[in-house]
Amino acid sequence: MTEHNNNEVGRRQFLGRVTKAGVSIAAAGIIAAKLYDVQGPKPGVKAEDLVTLPDFSIPQENGRTISIVTGPDRTQTVGMAIELLGGIGRFVKEGQTVAIKPNVAFASPSKFGATANPDLVAELVRLCYGAGAKRVIVTDNPINDPASCFTLSGIGKAASQAGAKVILPRDHLFRHTTLTNGRLIRNWPIYFEPFEKVDRLIGVGPVKHHERSGASMTMKNWYGLLGGRRNVFHQDINTIIAELAMMVKPTLVILDGTEVMMTNGPTGGSLSDLKRKNTLIASTDMVAADSCGAGLLDLKVSDLAYLAKAAKAEAGTTDYESLKPKRAAVG
Amino acid sequence: MRIVTTRRISQAFFFALFLWFCIVSTVGEKIWQLRGWPVDLFLWLDPLAAIGTVLTTHTLYRPLVWAVGVIVLTIVFGRFFCGWLCPFGTLHHFVGYLANRKKTAVQRIRLNKYRKAQCIKYLILIVLLFMAAFPSLAATLQTGLLDPICLVSRSFNLLLLPILDRSVNFISVSARFYEGAWLIMSVFLTAVLLNLVIPRFYCRFVCPLGALLGIISRFSIWRIGQKEGECTDCKLCEKSCEGACEPAGKIRISECVLCFNCLDDCKHELIGYQTIPSRTGEITDPDVSRRGFVLSLTSGVLAVPAIRLSNKIGANWHHRVIRPPGSLPEPEFLKRCIKCGQCMRVCPTNVIQPGGFEGGMENLWTPVLNNRIGSSGCQLNCTACGQVCPTFAIRPITLAEKLGQDQFAQAGPIRIGTAFFDRNRCLPWAMDKPCIVCEENCPVSPKAIYTEEIFTTIRDGRLTVKEAAPDVIHVEQNLVPGKFATGDYYCVLDADNRIKIAANTENSIEFSPDQKLQKTPPAGGKIEIQVRLQRPYVDIEKCIGCGVCEHECPVSGKKAVRVSAEGETRSADRRLLLEPG
Amino acid sequence: MPSVPGRNRRLESVVSVLLLAVLLLIAVGVLIKQADSDMTRFGLDANSALYSEKTQTGLQEPPDLAALLPKGFKEFSPPETYEAANLYEKINGKAPLYLDAGFLNLFTQRFASQDDESLWMELYLFDMAALRNAFSVYSVQKRADVETLPDMQFAYKTTNALFLVHGRYYIELLGSDESPDLLAAMTDVADNVTSRLKVTKTAQIPELNLFPQENIIPGSIKLSLKDTFGFEDLTDTFSCHYKLNDQSITAFISRRPDARNAQLIAKSYSDFLIENGATNKTAGNEVLKNIGARVLDFYDTTEIIFTVGPFVGGIHEAEDQKAAEEQAVKLIDKLTESAKTQK
Repeated sequence: MTEHNNNEVGRRQFLGRVTKAGVSIAAAGIIAAKLYDVQGPKPGVKAEDLVTLPDFSIPQENGRTISIVTGPDRTQTVGMAIELLGGIGRFVKEGQTVAIKPNVAFASPSKFGATANPDLVAELVRLCYGAGAKRVIVTDNPINDPASCFTLSGIGKAASQAGAKVILPRDHLFRHTTLTNGRLIRNWPIYFEPFEKVDRLIGVGPVKHHERSGASMTMKNWYGLLGGRRNVFHQDINTIIAELAMMVKPTLVILDGTEVMMTNGPTGGSLSDLKRKNTLIASTDMVAADSCGAGLLDLKVSDLAYLAKAAKAEAGTTDYESLKPKRAAVG
Repeated sequence: MRIVTTRRISQAFFFALFLWFCIVSTVGEKIWQLRGWPVDLFLWLDPLAAIGTVLTTHTLYRPLVWAVGVIVLTIVFGRFFCGWLCPFGTLHHFVGYLANRKKTAVQRIRLNKYRKAQCIKYLILIVLLFMAAFPSLAATLQTGLLDPICLVSRSFNLLLLPILDRSVNFISVSARFYEGAWLIMSVFLTAVLLNLVIPRFYCRFVCPLGALLGIISRFSIWRIGQKEGECTDCKLCEKSCEGACEPAGKIRISECVLCFNCLDDCKHELIGYQTIPSRTGEITDPDVSRRGFVLSLTSGVLAVPAIRLSNKIGANWHHRVIRPPGSLPEPEFLKRCIKCGQCMRVCPTNVIQPGGFEGGMENLWTPVLNNRIGSSGCQLNCTACGQVCPTFAIRPITLAEKLGQDQFAQAGPIRIGTAFFDRNRCLPWAMDKPCIVCEENCPVSPKAIYTEEIFTTIRDGRLTVKEAAPDVIHVEQNLVPGKFATGDYYCVLDADNRIKIAANTENSIEFSPDQKLQKTPPAGGKIEIQVRLQRPYVDIEKCIGCGVCEHECPVSGKKAVRVSAEGETRSADRRLLLEPG
Repeated sequence: MPSVPGRNRRLESVVSVLLLAVLLLIAVGVLIKQADSDMTRFGLDANSALYSEKTQTGLQEPPDLAALLPKGFKEFSPPETYEAANLYEKINGKAPLYLDAGFLNLFTQRFASQDDESLWMELYLFDMAALRNAFSVYSVQKRADVETLPDMQFAYKTTNALFLVHGRYYIELLGSDESPDLLAAMTDVADNVTSRLKVTKTAQIPELNLFPQENIIPGSIKLSLKDTFGFEDLTDTFSCHYKLNDQSITAFISRRPDARNAQLIAKSYSDFLIENGATNKTAGNEVLKNIGARVLDFYDTTEIIFTVGPFVGGIHEAEDQKAAEEQAVKLIDKLTESAKTQK
């Protein structure tokens, strides 16, 4: 090898190394510049990551806001109650997707009335499909273990058999929300994803005594949408129920007063806690439905502070008689 | 001037600088105190801290941009950081030199030969980086366990300094304590003493930062190598080789720490620092087998979910893991904390302690407040910990933000926990003894601890009157002289008459002249001795969890008022109150 | 580089000297850095305003309003106390102005003349928790063309009302009529306030002395606690007006926690202006160029933004660039000078 050749090889090797080093330095520089963060993250959830629950409500029709049907058989009473409001076709249109949110709070057999009635949920699913719904989902974020709640209450099986898809709450289905004009629901995780893309939302739950708030009915049912350490809200239960009524705008709510849990709510646990009242209410106004339901627990509207709060926030009216409820009896 | 001399000067310089930063990390404005000394300099320069946090947070926090400079220089020159700058490397270098200086050349050549096990450090690096990178939802930054800069900072600041300062109390007025320092010591001593077996043992086999720089150095422009010439294969160039990179044969670039000893040791002057490969060839890539790579990658990916199975950052979080004020929410915190111990060093009250395993594996050596140690809980007017945190795990908050003043008035003060009374241990609650040290020391304004006054009859406090005068009552029973002279004891004659006792002898109770008895009880009448107590309560809307009450509580074994992390501002799921007060 | 045996000792020496020079540079850098002995960022500044004036929350003991009664006047209504929750009931839509500025309580009472009950005034005593807050609500509401009161730092009157700041309190006295007697009585009340209402005396607003006094429109200094000039992050900002050859110029300063934050705010404020249609201009003045001030054209007005140590300062919506720059330089000089004297 001559010295010239040697130099030539060395020069090429040098250039090769310089190129490699240059490229890697440039890459390091670009990555560093891209990821450079002067301030560090601000605490809390970023405003752009907050979500808002869609509005599922439908236009009001005078005299077709609330219906009260008496009868022992829920599948009959619910059909009639919806019929009185204009039929299921008013609420669910061909090709729409529907979410049904029953109260599945506890891992308790349905006969104790701590959860929504499975037959009632199944009937609602069938009605929705009957109206041409493309897909019906049934979901809740229960207090007890979710899978056990859906199994033991019988709602899981009843809903699936009727053709609905039962969704259990998983961590990744929650998002943070802030309720406009809300005091408690600020930057709080809610059960969001299953509801994000559906067209209609129907809430269904039993009339129950509730130790802390007085009564658990359709408004309290939305507690199941709250995630996180939601039990802190028991420090101000009436406000949180009113805020839930502000946050959730359902298409329809079904309040089941066929068998009412009169004492030891919201879990009950004994058949002696229940009293047959054979009443079922369907309403597009939750406040009206719950005001009406209060009577089934032998309570006055003024006994339930959250009703007045919700009415003040214009979530509905407590004077349900002014809505001229449609009444009927079946069976 | 030989380059080796310059290298030694550089090592001495940076080591001295590092020592100096350890010494001056005391809050204060004297020249030997914190002032503006950039005490985080070595942590800012640490590429492992930078890359680790980039992997976990996908951002490069401002001061860590210095580490990019180190990476760039490594791309040009190789692992200069290890051989010229790293204080831990310098320590190993020196100890290794002391341990082996009497050995023969042959022995030393044997000591400094390349070993297959040197690949372990790459495997460690892979495990740590994959723990940081995957899965993105549960990333955790554990590089600090073995990162040499964090390790040496921790060891000097939390171990050597307190021990050395104990007798002179130059750095701190009162002795500093660090819980679980024995574990820090074990790691540190093991790393240092292994130099007696093989020089730079830690650098060669363990150091994840060295591994990272080794990988980066494959791009370097200048490298050590043999020039053209008559090599006698004497292997003397490997006699003092710090990296064990075998310059006599195919040099392993990723192992070379640029000590330049081979330049000096080659009597034929055949070794150079050059831009062409060594005459005898070079190996640029680390010697990591495919199997080793896959194995460590898998362990890294699986380790985090496995650690998280104990749910220590979820519902099963430990109530005593109280983080310094300004700490990010726990998952974010664990993505950033490199366990360097700077916050523990700088904390003027010594309340910030290296965490143990109570908060799970990841909690080890992260900052946790222990109000039993130190001079006074978390000092109200102090934000030092956040100011020295190199990675934003503790935000550099202002005093106004900490105290919830000015523009932070709406948000309220930063709470790090809440104090709870243990009424079974509290003197006024359980033992009818006056105390309220906690109430007096509560620094919050208005106070978060308040008291309610109560009078209660003491044990053996029902006495029979022998003889009574307006200023003294003689009783049948025997009393402990002076016991009721504290001003807290009262004599109750009937429902309307409760008179403060001024003094007592063995069988009489005396009253002060301005509080004489209005009417004297008859002989044989019954009186009661009552104690006036102020029983403390916590107003959880005011309590910020500073722990001063716990620190001051005289029930010293298991305190009667204890702070736990419920209610801390940083995490919504640990809140206690619906709304802050 | 040729690969020949032998060491180039000369080269080694040169490189060594260069490296030692780098070490020296690092040492110098470290020494420069340590010279900053400002301990406020560690929360350990014993002179910090936060210490001398501790903010309190919750309902305070109402001050004794009757003690403020002027001569010849009597209590005309019982004293009332309002908290944040019910402040709306008393002052309605004005409430957010106070609530955003640290409002704690409002105490009110009416005083009427003993001779003529139609002559009465209502006293509004706003407890704003701190002098800065009180000054802020005072300054942003200050009416134009009013008569300031002598002997009092922050006080002025109109034909039927009197306004003043005393420590943490902001006080409004609103009269039933435009009567000189009533105004005189109000001045009495103001005197009573300063002599009888206890406040922390040590509190000061250092920024007030940082504006150059030449050509300043007296009493034009305002403190805006947030959203200054519509920019969210420009908090705690003082502004004032200058009259220069029939032109009005607005200057502003805001003290940030440290120089780094100041630079950050200066940059994000100018980015904000650019987002909203401002364009960069070159500074005509050398001083501005040297300290890296940003000069922007904002719909034919000039905006100048700069930092001096922990201060963000600047000129807002000036008509004439040259005048704006001159005023900016004066402000920079003043800030630099005060920084020196502080050290």
